[in-house]
Amino acid sequence: MGVTRKLVASLLSLVAAVTAAQPMPGPGAARVTFAPPAIVTVTRGKPGTVTLNFRVGPGYHINSNKPSSEFLIPTTLKLDAPTDIVIGKVSYPKGEDMSFPFASGEKLNVYTGDFAVRVVVRPLHNVVPTKYAIHGNLKYQACDNAACYPPKQLPMSFEVKVAKGAETAPRHNPAQSPHAHR
Amino acid sequence: MKRNPLIIVVVAVVVALMLFIGIHTARRSGPGSAAASLDIKGHAAPEFALQSLDNKTVHLSDFRGKAVLLNFWATWCSPCKIEMPWFVELQQQYGPQGLQVIGIAMDDASKEDIAKFAKDLGVNYPILLGKESVGEAYGGVQFLPTTFFIDRDGKVLEREFGLKSRSIFEDNIKKALGRGQPVQAQK
Repeated sequence: MGVTRKLVASLLSLVAAVTAAQPMPGPGAARVTFAPPAIVTVTRGKPGTVTLNFRVGPGYHINSNKPSSEFLIPTTLKLDAPTDIVIGKVSYPKGEDMSFPFASGEKLNVYTGDFAVRVVVRPLHNVVPTKYAIHGNLKYQACDNAACYPPKQLPMSFEVKVAKGAETAPRHNPAQSPHAHR
Repeated sequence: MKRNPLIIVVVAVVVALMLFIGIHTARRSGPGSAAASLDIKGHAAPEFALQSLDNKTVHLSDFRGKAVLLNFWATWCSPCKIEMPWFVELQQQYGPQGLQVIGIAMDDASKEDIAKFAKDLGVNYPILLGKESVGEAYGGVQFLPTTFFIDRDGKVLEREFGLKSRSIFEDNIKKALGRGQPVQAQK
């Protein structure tokens, strides 16, 4: 039985060693994460704003949407909405002008920590009222204090609930409007 | 010989656990990380054939007999902008002794943009248009800048990841110049 115990102890030590030897997150690790928002209700035919929250990991920064140099890659959000849901203006926050050890005398306009992108979503009048998923990608290029990582795409998605909204008074026939041109 | 069933169970559990950890790690790491773990220090520098900004095909072997500072960079890499003027100076200073700086642009930018960037920084050494396969051959260049120091015999003497001090680069250049046999380089 003593042999069994020794064998078990040795094997468990081996497992512990293997587990401890697992590599740290490498250069391919995500440096930006996305926190999906609670479902936002938008009324058919009316614009609604969805706030999308992202977080840049500690020690990293990414270029803002308007970086300070033409060569730097801006952070951009591309969204792919279902038919009859229109993606309107995408508003990016202002970046922060920061100095870094590698860029003495030059300030870079960057996002660090939490930042939010606001998106206007407008379901058309004819959309069936239900939940819709909107998928997209945040393109960013991250650096730390000494190195930069290739541009990356962060896949993300959020849901909107399209509500029917209050019934409005019957609309005039556009053809009868004196302002109608066709 | 009598086998204790407990031992068999424990061995089976441990093997299964290690397999799980191994598979999980391989999935998490991805192909790039496997390449990153490949350390080519002390080995022959992988040969490459890359196009230069003036449309010539340049091989690493063209510089055999010289000490080569091989710098992977990109136009979007701000720390690279700090190093490159140092490399210009170091090329001027140590070029007569046999140093050749080579920049490999790991960029999606156009050749014209890369050329403009290099010109703005006064680059006086060849800039080559990088390929992912070359980065992989050098162990997976997953962040920039990454710089390799190759001695006169074509062996990778040292590599530096990220921005380092000028003195570290200079020390590595001196080591690379001092090692290997100087021969008449083709270029």
